[in-house]
Amino acid sequence: MKFKDRFREKHLVVKCGADMFLPFGLILGFYIIAFGTISPGGGFQGGVLVASTVLLLYLAYGFKVMAEAVKPEGLRKGEALGAIIYVLLGLMGIFAGANFCVNVIFDNGQVGDMISAGNITFMSYAVGFKVLTGIGFLLVLMLSLLAALDSERSGGDEKEVVENAGNDAAVSDASGEVAK
Amino acid sequence: MIQHFPVLSVMVLFFSAFLIEIVGKKEILRNVIAFLAVTASLVMLACLIPSVMIDGQVISYWMGGWAPESGYAIGIGYEVDSLSLLFALLGITAYWLSCVYSFGYMKGKQNLGHYYTLFLMLAGASVGFFLTGDIFNMFIMMEIVTFSAVALTAANTDKLTAIEGAFKYLVNCSIGSSMMLAGIALLYMNCHTLNLAQLSAILPGSFNSTTLLAFALILTGFCVESAMIPFHPSFVDAHTVAPSSVSMILSGMVLKLGVYGIIRLSYIIFRVIDTSAIQVMLTLIGTVTMFIGVTMALAQHDFKRLLAFHSVSQLGYIIAAAGLCTTLGLNASLYHAVNHTLFKGLLFLCAGAVIHSTGTSDLDSLGGLSKRMPKTCICFVIGAFSISGLPPFNGFVSKWMIYQAVYEKAMQTGNFFYVVVTVTALVVSVMTLASFVKVLHSVFFGQLRKEHEDVKEVSPIMLIPMGIMSFLCIFTGIFYREFDRVFINSAVTSAFDNIDYVDGMMGDGYSVTYGLAGLTGGNLEFSYWNPYVWLSLFLMVFAAAVLVTLIMGRTTGRTLESGEDYDSAYGTGDLSVDFRGQTHESGDPEEKYAVFFSGEKAEYSHAGGSDLFWGFKYNWHRYYEVLQGLHSGSVNDYSIYAVIMISMLCIFMYIFMR
Amino acid sequence: MILGNYIVSVFLIVLGLWTLCTQKNLIKVVLGLGIIDYGVNLLIVSAGFNEGGTAPIYNLAELARREAVFFVDPVPQALTLTSIVIGACVDAMALSIVIMIKKRYGTVDADEVRRLRG
Repeated sequence: MKFKDRFREKHLVVKCGADMFLPFGLILGFYIIAFGTISPGGGFQGGVLVASTVLLLYLAYGFKVMAEAVKPEGLRKGEALGAIIYVLLGLMGIFAGANFCVNVIFDNGQVGDMISAGNITFMSYAVGFKVLTGIGFLLVLMLSLLAALDSERSGGDEKEVVENAGNDAAVSDASGEVAK
Repeated sequence: MIQHFPVLSVMVLFFSAFLIEIVGKKEILRNVIAFLAVTASLVMLACLIPSVMIDGQVISYWMGGWAPESGYAIGIGYEVDSLSLLFALLGITAYWLSCVYSFGYMKGKQNLGHYYTLFLMLAGASVGFFLTGDIFNMFIMMEIVTFSAVALTAANTDKLTAIEGAFKYLVNCSIGSSMMLAGIALLYMNCHTLNLAQLSAILPGSFNSTTLLAFALILTGFCVESAMIPFHPSFVDAHTVAPSSVSMILSGMVLKLGVYGIIRLSYIIFRVIDTSAIQVMLTLIGTVTMFIGVTMALAQHDFKRLLAFHSVSQLGYIIAAAGLCTTLGLNASLYHAVNHTLFKGLLFLCAGAVIHSTGTSDLDSLGGLSKRMPKTCICFVIGAFSISGLPPFNGFVSKWMIYQAVYEKAMQTGNFFYVVVTVTALVVSVMTLASFVKVLHSVFFGQLRKEHEDVKEVSPIMLIPMGIMSFLCIFTGIFYREFDRVFINSAVTSAFDNIDYVDGMMGDGYSVTYGLAGLTGGNLEFSYWNPYVWLSLFLMVFAAAVLVTLIMGRTTGRTLESGEDYDSAYGTGDLSVDFRGQTHESGDPEEKYAVFFSGEKAEYSHAGGSDLFWGFKYNWHRYYEVLQGLHSGSVNDYSIYAVIMISMLCIFMYIFMR
Repeated sequence: MILGNYIVSVFLIVLGLWTLCTQKNLIKVVLGLGIIDYGVNLLIVSAGFNEGGTAPIYNLAELARREAVFFVDPVPQALTLTSIVIGACVDAMALSIVIMIKKRYGTVDADEVRRLRG
C-alpha cells in the first residue's frame, strides 16, 4: 500500500467491523469508570478503554474524519477541567472542617449501589474523564505527527497545532495524569 | 487552620497549573494567575515558620482523616518539621524569583501557556516532595518533577541541541527513579508500611539483606537526582540548553531534591549514618564529585556549561559535608545548600540576561559587556565572589563551616581520609575562584566586540530578581548568626533528635515501644573571623587601590580596534629607534614607557576566555583527554556509567554492612 | 512468595538496562526504559501475595455474613497501577522527544546525536 493511501478511507469490511465494535467499546469503558468503586477497574482503566475508540475511528476512517469528530482543543480544555474538579472535590473536605480528601457525602445508598462511596466516587469520575480526554488528545497528537509527514494530504491545521506544541502538550498531559 | 497550610500550598500550585491550561492564550490573565499562585504558596509556607522552626513543633496531617490504627499507618501523611520547611521555603523562594524573571525572559516566545503550566506543576511537585511523609508520595513527586523539567528543557526553541539534552536527561532520571521504585518495593515487602515515621521506628531493629538492598537502591535514586559523579553528564547537558529561568530552577532546586532525600534517608529513616562505612562512602562520593566538577569546568568554552559543572562541584561539597554525621557538618551542608541556590541562581540569571541581550553564550566571542550592562555586571561579580568564598558574602560563611567541620572530623577520628578531604576542599575552592576570574574577564571585562556594540541593559522586570538575590547573598553573609540560629540550627536539631518526627505522626509513646534514641553529633559552636573585620579590610584595600590609580594616572595611548591599521590610527609619525627628544603625535605612548614595549606597535588582541589558564590545561592534558573522552555525549555511555555505579553501591552495602 | 515472579522481574530489569547500554537506535533505548518499568511493576505486584488469598474486594454476600476473609494485599496493587500510568507517560514523552530529534537532526542513531559533549 502506498504512503498516501494510508489516509484514505479503508475497505468496507474494516469500516463495518469498526462500526460494530465502537459502541461496545464505549459502553464497556463507561461501565468500568462508573462502577469503579465496587468492581475492578476505576478511572484510569475505563478512561484508557474509551480513548482507544479514537484509535478505532482512525483505523477505519482515516485521519480527517477522526480529527473532525474528536476536536483536539476541546479535549485539552476537558482535561484541565477534570483535574480542577478533582482538586475542588478534595478541597470540600477542608471546607467541611476536616482534612483534605475526607468523605463528606454520606447517606448515599447501600453497599453495592453505583453511587455509594461518597466523595471518592465523584473523584473517580473526574479522574476517568481526565484520562479519557488526556489519552484521546495524546493519540490525536501522535497520529497527526504521522499525518504531518505527508504534507499535502493531511489535515493542515492539525499539523500546526502539533509542530508547535509537540512534546509540551504530551508532557503536560502525562504529568497531570501522574499527579492523580 | 494553620495545619491545612502545607497541603493547601501544594494544591494551590497544582490548581493554578490546570487553570492556566484552560486560559492559555490570554497573556495578562495567565501571568496574574501564575504570580498569585506562587505568592500565595510562599505566604502560606512563611506562616508556618513561627510554629515549626521557632517553637520546634512537628505538624502532622493525615489525608482523608485516616489516622493510624493499632500501630499501623494506613493513610498518606504530610509531615512538616524544620528540615522539610527549610527546603520548602528555599524552593518556593527560588520559584517566585524565577517566575518574575520569566515574565521578562520568555516574553514573545510561543506556547507560553504550556511553559507556565509545566512551571507551576514543577513548583507544586517540589514543594510536595519536601513536605510529604510517605515514601511512595516522594517517588510520585520526583516523577512529576522529572517530567516537567524534561519538558521545560525541551521547550527552548532557540537552541537546536535542546531536544538532545532533554532526551539524555529523561533517560538518566528514569533509570534513577526505576531503581528507587524497586527499592520501595523491597522495603514494602519487609515492613508492610510506606509511612516515613513508621519506617523510621521499625527499620533499625530489622536489618537484613532485603532492607540493605533497598537502602542501596533508594540511595541510588537520590544520588541520580542530585547529580553525583557518574550520573552528572546528563544534568550538565540539560542545564546548558534549558532556558535560563528554568536552568536556575534545575540547578538550584531539582538538585536539592536529591540532597533532601539523602539526608532524610540516612539520618532519619534508616539511621545508618552513625556507621563509619556509610560516612566514608558519602564523603568519598562528594569529594570525587567536587574535584571532577571543577576541573571539567576549567576547560569549558560555553558559559552555561561552565556554570553547570560548578553546580555539580558545589553539590559535591554539600554531600561531603552531610556525610560527616556531626552537627557542625550537617549545619555547614544545609547552609551551603541554601547559599548555593542563592548564588547559583544569581549566576544563571545573569547568564540569561547576557544571552537575552547578545544572543550568544560562547565565551570566546563575548567580551567587555560591563560597559553596556553595568547592573548585570555588578550582580555577576557578587555571585562570582560568593561562589568562590570571599569574605563579606555568604559563600565564605558556609565554606568556612565546611572546612572546620571536616577538619574537626579528621582530628576526632584520626582517619587520614578526612585530611585528604580537607585539602581537596581548599584546592577546589581556589580552582573555583580561578575559573570565575576567567569568566569575568572573558565576558564582562576586556574589550567590547564590534558586533555587541549596541546591546542594552535588560528590562527591569528581569533585574528585580537579580537584585533581590544579590541582596540576599550579602544579607546572609553579614547577618549569618541570626539566619543560622533561626533557620539552620532548628533543621539540624530536628534531623538529629528525631524522636518528635516519629511521635508526631504515630502518636506519643510510639518511639518508646521501639526503643529509639536520637543521634548524637557534638556541639554546634563554630567560630571564624568576624565578617565586619573582613569587610573593613576589603574596603581599605579597595580605597588604597583606587587612590593609587588616580594619583599615578593612566598610560596614554590607545589600543587599536580590530582591523585598524597602525598608520591610519596614529598618523604618519614614525616610531623611530631613537626615542630621545622626538616630538610625538598625540596618541602615541609616552617615551618613558616605550622601553617596555621595545618599540613595538600596540595591537588589538582579545584573549578569548578559553585561552586563560592555558598552562594549567596543558600540564594536565592527559587527565583532560581521559575525562573529556568520558563525557562523550552518547546516551549509551552515560547508561553504562550509571549501571556500574549502581552495582558498586549494592556490592559496597553488602560487603561493609553485614 | 512466588519465586518465578521475582526471577523474571530481575531478568527484565537487567534486560532493560542492557538495552539502554548497548543499543544505538534511540527508539530501542526508549523500549529499554519501558522494559525496566515493567520489570519493576512485576516486582511490586508480586510483593503483596498471600498464599491462598482472594481478590481484595468484598461482595455483598461476604459483608452480610460479616466474616473475616483472607485477602491478598491491596496496597501493592494500587502502587502498581500508579506505576503503570507513569511508565506509559514516560514512554509517550520519550517517543515524542525522539520524533522531534528525528525532525531536527535527521537521524535517530545515538552516535550521531552527540552535539553536547566534552
